[in-house]
Amino acid sequence: MTVYAPLELNRLSSRAEFEALVERAKARWDALWNGDHTVVTVGVGSSSIAKGALDVLAACQQAAAGQPIIVRQVGVDGADWMEVQVQVKRPGAPTVYYGNVEPHEIPDLLAGLLQSKAVGVDGDVAYEGIPPLKEHPFFKYQHRIVLRDVGVIDPESIEDALARGAYSAYLKVLFDLTPEETIAEVTAANLRGRGGAGFPAGVKWESGRKARATPKFVVCNSHEGEPNVYKDRRIHEGDPHRILEGILIACIAVGAERGYNYIGGEYPLAIKRFRKAVQDAERLGLIGKNVLGSGKDVEFRVRTGGGAYICGEGSALMYSIMGVRGQPRTKPPRSVEEGIWKRPTVANNTETLSNIRDIINNGGAWYASIGTEKSAGTKLMTVQGKLKTMGLVEVPMGITLRTLIEEVWGGMRDGYKFKGIQTGGVSAGPLKEEHLDRPVDFDSLTDLGGMLGSGGFVVFDDTVCAVDFARYLTAFNRFESCSKCVPCSRGNPALVEILDRIRFGRGSLSDLALIERTSKHIIELSLCGLGQVAPMPLLGMMKMYPEEFRAHIVDGVCPTGTCPIGSRQTAATTAAAAD
Amino acid sequence: MVQLTQHVSPTANRKEIDLDEVREIMSHFKPRDYQEAQELILSALQEINERFGWVSLEAAEIVAEHLGTTANRIYGLLTFYADFRTEPRGNHFMLLCHGMSCYVAGSSRLVQELADRYGIRDGETTADGELTVQVVNGCLGVCDRAPIVKLDDKYYGNLTVESFNEAIQRAIAAGKSGESAK
Repeated sequence: MTVYAPLELNRLSSRAEFEALVERAKARWDALWNGDHTVVTVGVGSSSIAKGALDVLAACQQAAAGQPIIVRQVGVDGADWMEVQVQVKRPGAPTVYYGNVEPHEIPDLLAGLLQSKAVGVDGDVAYEGIPPLKEHPFFKYQHRIVLRDVGVIDPESIEDALARGAYSAYLKVLFDLTPEETIAEVTAANLRGRGGAGFPAGVKWESGRKARATPKFVVCNSHEGEPNVYKDRRIHEGDPHRILEGILIACIAVGAERGYNYIGGEYPLAIKRFRKAVQDAERLGLIGKNVLGSGKDVEFRVRTGGGAYICGEGSALMYSIMGVRGQPRTKPPRSVEEGIWKRPTVANNTETLSNIRDIINNGGAWYASIGTEKSAGTKLMTVQGKLKTMGLVEVPMGITLRTLIEEVWGGMRDGYKFKGIQTGGVSAGPLKEEHLDRPVDFDSLTDLGGMLGSGGFVVFDDTVCAVDFARYLTAFNRFESCSKCVPCSRGNPALVEILDRIRFGRGSLSDLALIERTSKHIIELSLCGLGQVAPMPLLGMMKMYPEEFRAHIVDGVCPTGTCPIGSRQTAATTAAAAD
Repeated sequence: MVQLTQHVSPTANRKEIDLDEVREIMSHFKPRDYQEAQELILSALQEINERFGWVSLEAAEIVAEHLGTTANRIYGLLTFYADFRTEPRGNHFMLLCHGMSCYVAGSSRLVQELADRYGIRDGETTADGELTVQVVNGCLGVCDRAPIVKLDDKYYGNLTVESFNEAIQRAIAAGKSGESAK
């Protein structure tokens, strides 16, 4: 259908030309939603493709042939529990969201015969008995800034993105704001690094700006190698222009000549969609020499990783970009003084940079008013485990774990009993039922040995053994150790060995002290931040579930029956099982 | 001339890499300077690894030559980054997700089954050359269907040991991956 045809994209040489294109994109967007046709939107992302989203999309296209129906794809909006999701907007009616759709159901769905699968409607009021989607607990607590357009725009269409305000902040930074003013907004927003460390982005930009060597670079860390996080992948798949705009703004503010995005190689769809976004932006002249006639130049490169967790560490990531093994180095110099090619490099997490557009457009004070005093804004959070409505959510900082688990994520599935929640990925410890009323922000969980980290939570039930889980987490760190420094590369295997002794019923009480001692070495002597926190999950498990460790050692039983104590499995195969 | 050791199990189907195709892939990499050439090494290896399932010594040498580096450095990268393989895949390739969601849902049992029944561990190929498994330490991102594997182009979720074996047997019975319809 012609109303939703792609626009002609030519190089733009002035602000006025850009604004004219945005007007055309907005007209196209309005025509899409206000015509006499039906709009069918399928959420297509790596998670929904695994559930057959491409077949659903094909079925929609087949059903639409010759009909006044426009079929489009968007990224997945985070509600994994309702995938494959199909949105249907009929003329004169609000958009209806259908969940768990199968390809063969499409004809019925389009004929309006499948209202039982409708989860909600757009807007504030119910429609034909279907409640508003935003009243569903999964959406009710969300405050979507980064995810605002994820699941709304076609990630491969820069027209869609422009219609929803993409590059509006970039335009301001190019023409209206000085770099100092831009950085002042980010500082006022109290935007802290979303990758786990929580370092203020404004401070980082400021030191990048002040660094005297040139050229300078900005790197977006989209590596995300933790075994429980998929948030950055979803932003790439759903709204790549938001990330790109954040990086470009950082480049202008810091005075960097080139921006990089380092994406984990295991996310082919994220890479594909992000590359498309870069191509389109280049075609419009948003990247390159003399951007929109502003006199400012900015280059851009996409680099991909190779599946090494360590490359999430700043200096390792930069080595990986430079085409060598990603092994961290000692600091100082910090990367903001000597980073890629020994030049000043500002590195931020994807989610951090994805907040920049709205901070520039609405002001730092607006952003700082969301969330808590010390942890401003929203946070993307993911969950894993046996929960009912799993998925990626964006909630204000300070929400309690109980609200997240029991309402947003729907509580435990039938037949599973909550035992604990692992926080901070492989870098912190678990929390128990009695800790769930704590608010979630950068600082509130640390005294319990927990951590917000990158926002990945794993809920485990009472079939999971604390000793075995600790072994799994320690084995992850053992496998991912880059082998550069001895405390981490030797210490983690030693911990796994001790844990295996306990799992096989050959542990002694002195092993617990040995774990503490070995961990102290790893924590104090490891070279990089990842090594320094490697024993934390194990120490956390010991702190929260000491009775389970004792049961293995003193009573010779594994309370959940997971560990090989007393069973007839051979040592070799069981060790393989947990690797 | 440096000889790199190739650890190829004798029974695995030895699949040669079409070097002309490697040269064709490399022709798209046009670094403007030596720094950019170094930045492109990993991307080039990724494309080759994706296309053929592994990177052979001969392919590595072409990459090294094109980007002005050495096969030694390439081998150092191939053995550091978990996504790369230095030996061919079997007829079928499985990514077994062992992220935390899959772990708490019992993926250890699947890893165990691979060891017990098929005699393979992470990165290995069965003796008959049918199945290669890579255990994913990260996350495949389909956590609500844990434990999950990606076998050839298809995902299999909510697995039990029985349905896991069934999926493998069905894939093997259907013939070589790539020959079956996508």
